[in-house]
Amino acid sequence: MPRILVIEDDDVTAREIVAELVAHGFEADRVSDGNVGLARALVPGYDAITLDLMLPGLDGLGVVTQLRAQGIATPVLMISALGDVDRRVSGLRAGGDDYLTKPFAPDEMVARVDVLLRRHRQQAQQTVLRVADLELDLVRHVARRGERELSLLPTEFKLLEFLMRHAGQVLTRAMIFETVWGFHFDPGTNLIDVHIGRLRRKIDTGEHQPLIHTVRGSGYSLAQTD
Amino acid sequence: MRRLTDNWRSTTARLILIYGAFFALWGVLVIGAIHWQAASYLSRVSDDLIGRQVNYFSMLDEPTRQIALSDYVSLETRRLNAWGLFDAKGAPLGGTIKALPKEVRVNGPVVVLPDGLSRTDGDDHGSVRAAAVRLDDGRILLISRDTSIVDRIGAIIFQALLWGLSLTVVPGLLGGWLLTRGPLRRVHAIREATLPIMRGDLAQRLPVSRRGDELDMLAGIVNAMLDEIERLLGEVKGVCDNIAHDLRTPLTRLRARLYRLQQQFDDDSGENESLEACMVDTDALLDRFRALLRISELENQHRRAGFERVDLVEILHEVHALYLPLAEDRGQQLELQLPALPPVQADRHLLLEAFSNLVGNAIKFTPPGGRVDIAARSADDGPWVDVSDSGPGIPVDQRVAVTRRFYRVESCRSTPGSGLGLSIVSAIARLHGFTLEVADGERGARLSIHCAVADIS
Repeated sequence: MPRILVIEDDDVTAREIVAELVAHGFEADRVSDGNVGLARALVPGYDAITLDLMLPGLDGLGVVTQLRAQGIATPVLMISALGDVDRRVSGLRAGGDDYLTKPFAPDEMVARVDVLLRRHRQQAQQTVLRVADLELDLVRHVARRGERELSLLPTEFKLLEFLMRHAGQVLTRAMIFETVWGFHFDPGTNLIDVHIGRLRRKIDTGEHQPLIHTVRGSGYSLAQTD
Repeated sequence: MRRLTDNWRSTTARLILIYGAFFALWGVLVIGAIHWQAASYLSRVSDDLIGRQVNYFSMLDEPTRQIALSDYVSLETRRLNAWGLFDAKGAPLGGTIKALPKEVRVNGPVVVLPDGLSRTDGDDHGSVRAAAVRLDDGRILLISRDTSIVDRIGAIIFQALLWGLSLTVVPGLLGGWLLTRGPLRRVHAIREATLPIMRGDLAQRLPVSRRGDELDMLAGIVNAMLDEIERLLGEVKGVCDNIAHDLRTPLTRLRARLYRLQQQFDDDSGENESLEACMVDTDALLDRFRALLRISELENQHRRAGFERVDLVEILHEVHALYLPLAEDRGQQLELQLPALPPVQADRHLLLEAFSNLVGNAIKFTPPGGRVDIAARSADDGPWVDVSDSGPGIPVDQRVAVTRRFYRVESCRSTPGSGLGLSIVSAIARLHGFTLEVADGERGARLSIHCAVADIS
């Protein structure tokens, strides 16, 4: 069971985060002070950290900077009330792995933590991704469903790669938009749906069982269903 | 030159000019009166003298008269005096005056001869006064006195007037010009200070010097007004931001509850469907608050430190690729026509956001089967990016309003949307010193961003 360290000084937010993590089968410990948080994070045992940027004692940026300086690579999801691009950039530059703006939907937070854990475990270079009979060769840039080769546009290829790397996980529209396109604004739900729709029409054709699933109220997930 | 004419338009300058004119007029009147008084007094004195002398000479006996007449001439070393003896017919008999002028009546009053008299010892140069008398033996005695000295006094007085005026008026004007220059320089400084205020930077204030004069008092009043305006605007904005900010947290919680509730029902149950509808509405609300906060965040962002050279062509290609599937799904053509464009100083992410909003908007408001064009053109003062569509267009009277928060064109209210998209575009454009232009396209609306090459200071 993955253990998550929650560094968050606001009690209500902390309770929400912990409850949501526990509901999804994680073990969660909460601390409210930056210095205490850093001390706990330096001891091995946590698989991921959610880190509020505004903390008493040492602030979030300081925590993540010192953590990385000590060579600790535990993935960090930064959470802040301030959403502008500059803070995101400085947060990620200091060593954060992802950035979430308050207030956030709890499922979005869990989805992001999930992705961080997976990304962390997946450090080994994979050159071919496989889900059921869907195959994506990252080196030769070829996608295949069963025997049939799929012709994908560059963006569709990137989208499929992201979905396959995190097969079985829920990916929100914001996460997809940020990772595949690298944009950090709100494009409206419709736009991502249309892109997913196109990819779906190319992959999930007639005789095959559908792999891309819509998760109501959240986003999408690519998975083999039994 | 402009500054000079500007200088003379100030209140001080006008007062000085009016005062100068009055002073000159008054001086002319005074000097004129003095001149007139002096001239008439001197004339009267010399007329009196001539009259008395002519009488005196006529009463003397012949030998004494001869001595007296020669004395009359010789005692006046400047040769101002002259005499002439003529017979009854006017033929000269003695003295230095050559002829008896017609204007002089024998035994008449003293007359003025402006051109002087012809004399054997040299003609007079100015006017003379003369009188004639018939002697007992019938001869005529004419005596004259050059009175051009009176005119010279007039000339001297006139010169004094000119000197006096020039000595007063020239330093007056010069002093006035210097006096107005100071205040005008401050007016120029005030104008400089108001430019950023007019552009919306309410943190600026008018300069106030330590003199505490009228200008400072005015500047102080205006500054106090600006303080109040800034405070009120800040309050309004703060209230908006706070509402948006404070409502987001409970809304997010509401959405989370709805989500958890929804998980408890089967996918195709009626409850699931109504909960889904609730969540769609909550998402729309959250989107709106997010957009509102995004705008105020953009408006608070004054710095341009994150600006870099951005390739417009690349950005527009990205936006085109992002929206092409959406347009195709709606049966629309999304065309991209780009010439080579110079790079612009901008924030890449913000420009992407702005153009995405424009293209997304155009697609949204264009009916299925329509067409949206992304085009660019270069201009000397920076490239233009046009996004035109074949939708209903934006009525002329609503073109300014569409960039306002929450404003939506009346005929498009049925289309979903927050009415905040163009406000975001407008805020991003303003942040860059670019302009957003709303105009008619060939078929529908055309929204353009002019990436003006501003001096990045």
